[in-house]
Amino acid sequence: MKPGTMLKDIARSLVRKPVTERYPFERRPAPDRLRGQLIWNPDPCTGCGLCALDCPADAIEVLVIDKKAKIFEITYHLDRCTFCGQCVESCRQGCLEMQDDQWELAALDRGGFLIMRRKDGAAPAKQDSPPANGDEQAA
Amino acid sequence: MNTVTTIAALLLFPSGLILLLSGLAFEWADRKLLAQYQNRLGPRWFQPLADVVKLLAKEEVVPEGVNRTLFIALPIAGLAGALTAALYTPLFGLQPAYSFRGDLIVTLYLLSLLTLCMGLAGSNTLDRFSLVGATRTLTQLFSYEAPFMLALLGPAVAAGSWQISEIADYSSAGRYLLLTQPLGFLVAIVGLMGKLELPPFDAPEAETEIVAGALTEYSGRGLALFRLGKGVELVVGLTLVAAFYMGGVANPLLWLVKTLILLLVMVALQALFTRLRIDQTVGLWWRYGALLVLVQWLIMVLVGLL
Amino acid sequence: MTTNTTSERFTVPIGPQHPALKEPGAFRFNVDGEIVTSATVRLGYAHRGIEKLAENQNWVQNIYLFERTCGICSHTHATTYCLGVEKLAGVEVSPRVSAIRTLVAELERIHSHLLWLGVSAHEAGFDTLFMFGWRDRETVMDLLEMISGNRVNYSVNILGGVKVDVTPEIVEQILAGVDLLEERTKHYLDVVSTDAGFLQRTRGVGVMTREQAEALGAVGPTARASGVARDLRVDAPYLSYSDFPVQMILDDRGDLEARFVVRLRELFESYRLLRELVTHMPEGELATRMPRRIKAGETVSRLEAPRGDVFYFIQSNGSDKPARVHVRTPTVCNMTSVVKLALGHQLADVPLILAGIDPCFSCNDR
Repeated sequence: MKPGTMLKDIARSLVRKPVTERYPFERRPAPDRLRGQLIWNPDPCTGCGLCALDCPADAIEVLVIDKKAKIFEITYHLDRCTFCGQCVESCRQGCLEMQDDQWELAALDRGGFLIMRRKDGAAPAKQDSPPANGDEQAA
Repeated sequence: MNTVTTIAALLLFPSGLILLLSGLAFEWADRKLLAQYQNRLGPRWFQPLADVVKLLAKEEVVPEGVNRTLFIALPIAGLAGALTAALYTPLFGLQPAYSFRGDLIVTLYLLSLLTLCMGLAGSNTLDRFSLVGATRTLTQLFSYEAPFMLALLGPAVAAGSWQISEIADYSSAGRYLLLTQPLGFLVAIVGLMGKLELPPFDAPEAETEIVAGALTEYSGRGLALFRLGKGVELVVGLTLVAAFYMGGVANPLLWLVKTLILLLVMVALQALFTRLRIDQTVGLWWRYGALLVLVQWLIMVLVGLL
Repeated sequence: MTTNTTSERFTVPIGPQHPALKEPGAFRFNVDGEIVTSATVRLGYAHRGIEKLAENQNWVQNIYLFERTCGICSHTHATTYCLGVEKLAGVEVSPRVSAIRTLVAELERIHSHLLWLGVSAHEAGFDTLFMFGWRDRETVMDLLEMISGNRVNYSVNILGGVKVDVTPEIVEQILAGVDLLEERTKHYLDVVSTDAGFLQRTRGVGVMTREQAEALGAVGPTARASGVARDLRVDAPYLSYSDFPVQMILDDRGDLEARFVVRLRELFESYRLLRELVTHMPEGELATRMPRRIKAGETVSRLEAPRGDVFYFIQSNGSDKPARVHVRTPTVCNMTSVVKLALGHQLADVPLILAGIDPCFSCNDR
């Protein structure tokens, strides 16, 4: 039985810099496989709606505007999303991917969290809520 | 001293406001050093000051069933005791503000007054955590007090006086009692940690067992005063041990350097050990603490006889 | 609020809000001075109705629901669920999928045991071990983040496979991380078994004999520290454990020190297994097609979580939503041992005895 087994640890720490990251002055880059905000590529989309069906948080809604002309509208609730990535796996056409560099997605109000895109690029049926705090909206 | 300088000494410097601020500064140094030992960042310099300011601004909740006068008076009495004890110690390297024969005993008693007030404050309430904490505070008081007092009386015997200023002058004359009375020095440092309820002797305020111990029901002004009292006690205790054992504190720079070195060693001991249970604390002090200091006294007596 | 002061005995409440507990649970200890004379526990503060919620979501959505039962053993829950559903559907996953799931499970075990080491040290008042243990835990958190993109709730499972693959760069990082962690774990094992102050708090405290452990139904490292030889990775191998076996770590002292030693020595087994696994990773595809409607039937799947064995009962009626999922987590089994063992001990030992079973109230309340 020894009295001070961590003596070497604390002696070494006395002369070294603390390991604490001084966030927000020092920021780590996001990991490569970060599952961030959802990005929808409208071209391969067939409007099957599997992504909306399989989302555990009901964060995706698929609105079919014109099935023949293949015009769909996706509403993505960024505030409901749990960033699990199931929608990416469920989509058989590979339309979805998750952004991997922005992880500071918090904001002070809900505006900007409802993101809507139409397949043909026209204005969505519902209006986007106004963006808040300058957070980037996925193309 | 005429009235104006007396009042200035009591309210501003070296007692009073400057002492309170230096208590906060030493508390910050303690927390920052502990963080450095644990490889983390620690609080910024204004943290203890911010804590006290915030506490003073908060509502003081007086729980049901307590003796209201005691509840409000005990923090004031505790802080008053600590501040009064500071009047007799060579704070900041200057001569003590007041000095009389036998003031060592009075100072030690006044330092214990703070711990006693905390124990009474805990027993005052009906909260289970405070009661257990108060019991532990008082039990711990009975265990470290005797060895600690004997350890501080060792230099008194060597200097042949019971007046703090004379003992400090005796040590300042180049006598490093930590080398000639090493056991006494060890007991003095560890006893100081017990008095200040620093880990490993923080069973009375064990956060993971009894929330905050005796001070659980305190908030707002009462808690702020107790915390200030603890800070003052830290400064006074460090000054006493440094003045007696580490070759005196002849001027402010020496005082600062010696107390900081002492704090460095104390915080290292804080970081190294696990919290002791209250029965283990009592066992440790009454077995090893008392034994060491008695051996030290025996050696002193024998050396004195030879 | 009256104090029950009958002949100097009164009740100390630990919880539902208490600094000793990281999650809510209400313990009531009757103490006589400092000695505990009786104890009761009341659970259910973190109940979220997960089993009922599962009946209203489809099979795929439920992976993420069950993953969030607990933050520390999230992958274990998701994997147990996926294994059960795949068994019901009669789908065989490739060896690579099993290996990746095993890899993440072992990394999770490492992260959980290091977290527990820090938390228990904090309960004992040894903050330095807490800080250093959690600093080294960051290594395994970084590995998990590199593999899955997230530090908690890794979400690597999908029905029929995994989402992520292990590349040679990741393998390199894992080997480097494991080397660092092994060195530090050796140091912590040394601290835990030789530090005089720490041993004063843990040696001979909370002793549970083998008969008591079997009678109370303890599982996991808590039981193994009392000599009960129960480990699902050895008794009923699942995932890749038949190809990469682990040794059971037993200790017969049954006190708190034994629990520390067992968990730390389990870490060494995990490091060895990880090294072997990443250097001999089997080939295979990452995902197998699963039907959306699972055949009717019922099945049981069990896994060794860091705390003990997790048991899932899954029943399907042929639709795309489960008919019933029942979860039994290890903390439920270990909780009775706390109220039994606390008797006769000092109040100061109680938080340590509670921390010694590695309680996860979110798990047991679901």
